[in-house]
Amino acid sequence: MTKKKLLLNIFGPILSVVVLIGIWQAIVVWGNVAPYIAPKPWDAINAVTSNWSTLAPLTWWTIKETVYGYLVGALLGAFLGVVLNKIPLMQRVLYPLLILTQAIPIIALAPPLVMILGFGVMPKVVIVAWIVFFPVTVSVLDGLNHVDKDLMTLAKVFGANSLRRFVVLEMPAAVTQLFSGLKIGATYAVTGAIIGELAASSGSSLALYQRSASGSLDAAGVYGTTLIMTAIGIVWFLLVVGAEYIATPWQRRSTARQWRRGAKPVVTNN
Amino acid sequence: MKRNFLSLSVAGAVLALSSVTVLSAGSIASASTLTAVKFVYDFPGPDMEIIPVVVAQKEGFFKANGLNVSVEFPPSTSLTTQLLTTGSGDIGFITTSDMAVAVEAKAPVISVANYSMTNNWGLFAKPGSTLTLASLKGKKIFSWGDTWTNAMIPFVLKKAHLKASDITIVTGANDTPLLMNGTINFTTSTTNYAIPGITEATKSAPVGIVGAAAGVPNVPVWVYAVTHNYANQHGKNVRAFLKAIKAATIWASSHQTKAVADFMAAYPKSGYSKFYSTKGWALTVPLLTNSAGKYFVQTNKQWTTLATALKSVKLIKSVPAPSTYYTNKFLP
Repeated sequence: MTKKKLLLNIFGPILSVVVLIGIWQAIVVWGNVAPYIAPKPWDAINAVTSNWSTLAPLTWWTIKETVYGYLVGALLGAFLGVVLNKIPLMQRVLYPLLILTQAIPIIALAPPLVMILGFGVMPKVVIVAWIVFFPVTVSVLDGLNHVDKDLMTLAKVFGANSLRRFVVLEMPAAVTQLFSGLKIGATYAVTGAIIGELAASSGSSLALYQRSASGSLDAAGVYGTTLIMTAIGIVWFLLVVGAEYIATPWQRRSTARQWRRGAKPVVTNN
Repeated sequence: MKRNFLSLSVAGAVLALSSVTVLSAGSIASASTLTAVKFVYDFPGPDMEIIPVVVAQKEGFFKANGLNVSVEFPPSTSLTTQLLTTGSGDIGFITTSDMAVAVEAKAPVISVANYSMTNNWGLFAKPGSTLTLASLKGKKIFSWGDTWTNAMIPFVLKKAHLKASDITIVTGANDTPLLMNGTINFTTSTTNYAIPGITEATKSAPVGIVGAAAGVPNVPVWVYAVTHNYANQHGKNVRAFLKAIKAATIWASSHQTKAVADFMAAYPKSGYSKFYSTKGWALTVPLLTNSAGKYFVQTNKQWTTLATALKSVKLIKSVPAPSTYYTNKFLP
């Protein structure tokens, strides 16, 4: 990666966030928006930092719900994707059901989950997993369905058994697609956790803190908690992007080839 | 003959068309003479407490007072004051605690009339349960997470000599199923919502400790509110609204079956049964007048009591003059 491209990759997103905050500040100041309707960006940040001793445990709780639910959803989604690919009958039977699960409004799902699983972390984990597993399943299934058939035949001819073909050919082919699903799931996971917290929580939670702040016309508190929720989603997304970077080195092959092209040709003397 | 018939037909058609045009013009004229007012409820969906507004719409009380009132529902509870201040609504229906919090936040709103006159909030349990202040320790108590409930629970704990850590507050979207299957021990609500809901689910009346017995201050729960700006510029509308609402409330109190039917017809998908709405409205009616049988009248005492109580549980920081909260000048 060139230095210019690296700088662009780092400062591009920072610049866009700065511009966004600038627009927010401009709207509040020039629009003369009352502080109980919308706060200035700094007031929202200050609402977080000044109440951090209260918000930290709530944030940690939401992170746990998000991560646990995400991991369960991702594993379940990947597993289902493979199973549906390997057993075509299962795909025909289960695929419509999978679509059905996503048609159920999460809001309607939450109360029965609470009655069955209580007020703790479990209903939130299930809700997050419910949201995350579907894009992962679809991505894996899509990836596996598009493996080069000629390569598969060739591997078969060379005596590779189905496990080896899966590990060497199918899995790498599906990984790129898998990460697309994982990235979509990462952005939605925190939303699932917040919906779960709103549906029912014992004690306090980030979502309830926000609701309480809203009831007290504490707009800075409302926006501040929104910033925390957003940060959880972004950090989780970036972690998945990082994992993708490590797990799919072939995606950066074009850069490597470019470097090779620049290298001096190897001269052989016959 | 045929020509005559044709002429008569054409003349008849022209006459009919003219009549329709004149009638339409008349109705357009009468609609345009009505002043549009946006009423914002306190809850994201309609329930029986909105009956006075529905009756005023359906039975012509608003029209008789020159108003064309539309109803808006906030996206979530405790947002009504913000909708009023942004101009998304003209007249709002809020809890008195929302009003106190709004004044604390310097939101330019003022209460123009009480809806209810007493505090009918309390704790409720399934029929046959033991519910006393002494039995609260270690129990799971449902809260709606709204400002009013947040304000009232500390008073219950104080009366029961308990700390916040002695109970588990559970917040959610629906209390009755949780109460029925024992996931929670008690719920918090007002009599006119809790009694119909639990009675409908169990076919028996719930157990409850309400108002002073629960240790909560005896203050009105709901009020009608407007912004200072709207009160100053459209005082005539506020007065006309309250006049229509008073007439509608009196009518709905003496014609309860028809009033509920009006509500069910206006909001057939409210999610509430006829039983619930009928029972709820019957329990609401006695709350609407004070001991002298008067509607709407607010007092210095009610606002001072509320503000002092809210300050004692740290929901607000100061107790301003009662006139900061209310005015009776628009009462019919």
